[in-house]
This record gives sequence, C-alpha cells and structure tokens, in this order.
Amino acid sequence: CHCSDHIFDVITSPQVLPRFCSTQETPKDPPAAPSPYQERPWEYLESEEYRATYGDRPVWHGYRRNHKGSVPPQSPRKACLRRGRRVGNPCPICRDRNLLVDFRNVKLLDQFICPHSGVIFHPIHTGICMKQHKRLSQAIAQAQDHGLLWLQVPFVPVPEEDFSNQHAAVGKTPPAPALREPGQAWYPWYEWQQPPAAEVARMRRLYRGFLKEDYPDTPPSPSGK
Amino acid sequence: MTGLDLHKVFRPEKKGLKPPHYKLMTEAQLEEATRKAIEEAKTKLIMPPVLNEREPIDDVLAEDKILEGTETAKYVFTDLSYSIPHRERFIVVREPNGVLRKATWEERDRMIQIFFPKEGRRVIPPTLFKDEKLGTVFQQDRHEDVLNMCIAQFEPDSPDYIRVHHRTYEDIEKHGKYDLLRSTRHFGGMVWYLLSRKKADGLLIDMINRDLLDDATSLITLYHMLHPECQSAKEAKEQKLEGVDLIKVFVKTESQREGYIQLALQAYEEAMATSSAS
Repeated sequence: CHCSDHIFDVITSPQVLPRFCSTQETPKDPPAAPSPYQERPWEYLESEEYRATYGDRPVWHGYRRNHKGSVPPQSPRKACLRRGRRVGNPCPICRDRNLLVDFRNVKLLDQFICPHSGVIFHPIHTGICMKQHKRLSQAIAQAQDHGLLWLQVPFVPVPEEDFSNQHAAVGKTPPAPALREPGQAWYPWYEWQQPPAAEVARMRRLYRGFLKEDYPDTPPSPSGK
Repeated sequence: MTGLDLHKVFRPEKKGLKPPHYKLMTEAQLEEATRKAIEEAKTKLIMPPVLNEREPIDDVLAEDKILEGTETAKYVFTDLSYSIPHRERFIVVREPNGVLRKATWEERDRMIQIFFPKEGRRVIPPTLFKDEKLGTVFQQDRHEDVLNMCIAQFEPDSPDYIRVHHRTYEDIEKHGKYDLLRSTRHFGGMVWYLLSRKKADGLLIDMINRDLLDDATSLITLYHMLHPECQSAKEAKEQKLEGVDLIKVFVKTESQREGYIQLALQAYEEAMATSSAS
C-alpha cells in the first residue's frame, strides 16, 4: 500500500457519542493542517508525490462507494465533511488535502471533463460529493471565462443589418430650442400663453352667470412658480 | 484566397456522442453530396464586415430641473416592440438630476441582450476579452475561437470588437501563424488589416512556402488596388505584369524582408523545376 500521510489521516481519538443535554461541546476532529500548495495548487499536479500516488490516471480512477447490495447508490453523496466530522471513505477530492479546486489548476479540472464531448462527468461516474461537484462546475465555468480551458464556440452567423447608424435612435438629433438658449422654458406651455380671443370669448359666454364682472383676461404675474 | 479546406470547415464539433453514420452512395450521389457540402461551406465562410468605430451617442433630449432630488437611481426606458430592428430601437435614460438622454452604446447593447437574448452572447462580456487574458488564449493557438466568440459577443462596429480583432491579427503576424485562419471566415479580415498597414511580407513568405502562387499574385494585386500610388503598382500597370514577375517587382520596391522572399521564391522555382523534370 503506497498511501502517503496526506491521504486517509487516521483519527486517533476514540469515537465519542454526542451527549445532547451536556454543557460541554462534543469534541470535533482536530482541524486539518492547511495544504502546502494553498497559494499555487497547480504545482501539486507536477510533483513527485502526485506522480507516485496517481500515476497517469485521473484522480477519480478506482474510487468506489461502499454500499450494500449489487447496485451502487444512484445519487452522489451530499458532502464529505459534515459538521466538522469526516465521513468514512471520502470522495477523490476530499480525501487528498493537496487537491484544491481552483480555476487556475487546469490539469485537475481537465480530468473531470469528457475529452470527446466536452461535458463535465456526472458525479456518480467520478464518485465526488455534491458539494465538491458544485465547486468544480463553478471553477470550470470560471476557467472557461478566463480563457484557460477550452470551450466549444457555437457558430453565430454575422448579422445582416444596416450599420450606417442613420436612424434617430442611434444617430444625432438636433438639440431642442430650449437647450440652445438657456433661460427659455423647455416647452412653451410651461409658461402662461395668451389664448386666442375667440376661445376667451367662448369661455366667457359659457360661464357668464358665474364669472365676476371684473374678471381679468390675463392672470396676475406668477409669484415664485 | 481564403482557401476551401472542407476537412477544416466541417471539423467535428464536440457535442454529444453518436455512433458514426455510414451511407452507401453511387458516384453521382457522392458528387451531389460534395457539391452541397461546398455550398454550405461557402455560407460558413462569408467574411464579417470591417467597419470603423461607431461614434459615441451623447444626445440630451430633455432637462427637467423639477425632477432633481426626487429619485436616487437612473431609470432606463427601452422600447420593446418586437418587430423593429435593434438599431432603430429607442433607449433613453433618466438620470437623478432630471436629464433625459439617449443611452450610450454599451447601455444599449446590455439592455437589448437582457430583453432580446441572442445565442452565444452574454450580458457582461467574458473576461478573456481583456488584454491581459488574450495572451493566455493566444499561447494555446485558439485565435479562431477568440474571433468566433468576439463575433458572437460584440457588434461589428463596437470598439471592443475592433480592439480584439486587431490584437489577434497582430499576434498572428508576430508569430507567423497565418495558417490558423486559412479556410475560416476571418482570413479576409486579417488580409485587409495587414495590407492597409503594409505588412504583407510575412504572409507572402508563408504563401510561397506552401506553394500557393495564385494566392500570392492575388495578394499583390489587392495591395496595388489598396495603395495605387506606390511604385510597384505604377510599374505593374505600365508593364502589365503577371504571376511571378509581379511578385518580383513588389519584392524589389516595397517589401522590407527582401532576402527571405527571394530565398523562398528560389526554393519554389527549384521545386517546380525538379517536379517538372521528374
């Protein structure tokens, strides 16, 4: 067996049952030491230990779920680290603390993409947990966005439209008269305009019985409006 | 000049796997199928338009000082009628200080993509179109992919489209990777860019090395059409040269890398001599 100490860190403390009414906290697993490849996760895939552990094969090769019966579970595990405790038989990414899912280590991401169809493998096929699969899909999308991973580009025919930009929506429109001379109101009806004499006479005839005798034709000058 | 390499144009796409189809055809059916394939390839090789950069829109339609201080955010009003072309669609923005102005080109593109999404286009363009990231993509020799994504994402007269295309062409010219674009719809654009900046030497050497003499002569004729006042154009018009002589005149007068082109021409002529002798 060639497992090095970064895989399958064995829990030395005995299994402690949770005591629900106790004031003491249940002892959780000691927090794992951070990986030495935290800043540059792609270096691990070139290193000797990776080569010795995995050789030429992908990281998920040979991983099997443990289950009862002949048919393996048809849905992936939700997470390998639940409330601070690691499950038995963690998934290929969670079991190796140096394998970090990052958009920059393209070699790791490539192992989870089908070389023929360009599609991400289903987590049942590779055996990784749902949490890591979600992080992996996000990292793959980010890497494709940054141009580090290959991406199938659909053929989009060139649009056949008029590129002259003469229409008023995108071309120049002459500025409105009010803008040319500031000080003038924007619309002429913002300020009071004298209505035509025929209209004034018609209104006076209509409301003859209600208008005061000395009702003026022009209103008094506007104050502050 | 683009070249019609059917194997490259109809290169297999990475899609879902299907078992291969075998068809048994007579000679006539095979010719018919090839003819159809060539026609389809020609539609795929239509060159995208090369336009000048569009002028920015900065028209103010109204200024209503009465609205100042009422709102804290800009409002964008888009005309969503279905059957008008996108370039005739009115999109205006009401700023918090009461100014009603036409939306800028970037705002227009974003709004139109939100309401009328187009395949292959994203509302916020991918990060690989930034100058720093383009270098990584060019190292992987994915110039054609970048240009296809650029056509899908940007309008042909937008500054981003023009900048990405110019960067790609310059990188190709620097490394001499002209063959990457041959038999794609981007070849014409690249030739136009290089000829308008008088950088035809690398392309000429590449064509002669690959024994594409007809393409080389058409390249020189196009150069003369673009720059009719240059010396080789005048000489060619006076003496009505054809073929290799045209190239030789061009090499003597206009090119910067005379030595390389002479060498390439010599190698080509020797190869022709040996092949015709044997």
